[in-house]
Amino acid sequence: MLRIAFDDVSLYRRTQEELSYDLKRLIFRTITRQYVKPNRRRVLDHVTLRIESGEKVGILGTNGSGKSTLLKVVCRILTPTSGRVFVHGKIAPLIELGAGFESESSVVENIIYYGMLLGFSRNDMRQRTKSILDFAELHDHAGEPLKTLSSGMYARLGFAIATEVRPDILLLDEVLSVGDERFKMKCKERIQRFWDDHSTIIVVSHDLDFLASSCERVIWLDAGRVVAIGPAEPIVRSYYDSVHSIERSQPAVASAPAPPLAAPPSSAAPPAGEPAVEAVGVK
Amino acid sequence: MFAAKGIKARYRGSVLGVYWSLSNPIIMTLVYSALFGTAFASYYNHSVTNYMLACFTGLAVLGFFSNATSQALGSVVGSGALLNKIYLPKSLFPTAVVAANAFQYVVGTLPILIVVTLFMSHSLVNVVALVIVSLSLLMVAMGFAYLLSAAFVFFRDLPYMYELVVFIMWITSPIFYPAELVPAVIRPFVVLNPLAVIMSSVRQIALSGTTPDLSMMAASFASAGFWFMIGMSVFVAARKDFMDLI
Repeated sequence: MLRIAFDDVSLYRRTQEELSYDLKRLIFRTITRQYVKPNRRRVLDHVTLRIESGEKVGILGTNGSGKSTLLKVVCRILTPTSGRVFVHGKIAPLIELGAGFESESSVVENIIYYGMLLGFSRNDMRQRTKSILDFAELHDHAGEPLKTLSSGMYARLGFAIATEVRPDILLLDEVLSVGDERFKMKCKERIQRFWDDHSTIIVVSHDLDFLASSCERVIWLDAGRVVAIGPAEPIVRSYYDSVHSIERSQPAVASAPAPPLAAPPSSAAPPAGEPAVEAVGVK
Repeated sequence: MFAAKGIKARYRGSVLGVYWSLSNPIIMTLVYSALFGTAFASYYNHSVTNYMLACFTGLAVLGFFSNATSQALGSVVGSGALLNKIYLPKSLFPTAVVAANAFQYVVGTLPILIVVTLFMSHSLVNVVALVIVSLSLLMVAMGFAYLLSAAFVFFRDLPYMYELVVFIMWITSPIFYPAELVPAVIRPFVVLNPLAVIMSSVRQIALSGTTPDLSMMAASFASAGFWFMIGMSVFVAARKDFMDLI
């Protein structure tokens, strides 16, 4: 069954300088006729992909290549500027329970709160609380305010909840980098169990070995474009090669063009030097 | 669900909290009465008590409105961390703030107004009318909550401007002075202030002792409906850009 489909999806976001906008400057600029339309930057560029139910897909790419943005589009946090997105099933994004939660409330209350935000009922979450605490090994902290937890504990709790509610689609964004070795093992085991299940998993990670060994397919993103999509190992290898050949041949040039690919790319390699920022007259 | 969470968060461990919030209008009423009570008593049948009741009803309306809207102002931006993690309807946040304040109004202020109404009018019709007019107050607050929380995403200096707006709404509402003092030329403009319209309807119902004036209630709802529609449509039009800025 088709779980996720992106059909020629592009996304433009306002650039950060916009964040400093305020009313008095807007009024001033309008009066002095210096008003400029806000710049927009292309973050996803004609992305087309399909993910079937039960697939385990990895996403790799350099920082700022649009990996996390892609996940945000999947869970509807961001809506694409053009193109169509189809998502079928219950999604649990794996998040740290830190910011945005009730840091004064107890860990248990926050488990129930998070579950309800994901769309589960209060009773349902109450029944799952014990096994969540079991997995996160946080029974000793159950009644304490959330803010007393360490960052590793936040991550453990987030992982425990997101995997306990058994979503149809599980999104993992760089989550296995926190937590101690032992817990990482435990997480990987649990993900493996999900693997056997019919759940769909999308992992964003810089851990290339992990992607190569546990994902069936990998999506390689660069500057918002899909460079390659297909079987994990060859793509991970060519990604690794491309990163290292840039380092060897042109250490000084940051925006070097990607070298020819070993794996057959699904779309053309990005033309070098094309500015990623452009003004568009949206709105 | 979310509103319940907000209420719970605010009153964690203190039932007194709801009644504590009444201390503000009560103290302000006493201050105004001490300052202006005798001077303005002639406009209120020569009774300082009547002046105090008029003052209190005005402050109750303004207090609910200004608390609900200024708390709602930062609600969308303040939830940015959460909105960037999970998809949630964005209108949830201003709605929850207003709902939490409405709860406070219903358990704190409204019972007092109902007692006053029963005492002055001896009629349940007036009590029902009071509750109905309170709904128009809720609508105005919702409208402003949507408008402000959306605008704050784009204009981060909004709180300073809004302070001024609340001040203007406060001073143009006949709270501590009789409405008759406003020059006749200016009076039509006071209609622009939705709170002044609602306030006079609340007072007519609660304090005059006569049957509710339907035209005043209709005016309240017309003004409330107008602001609600404005707020709602601005919010809906702007929300697609929220996630780029928070």
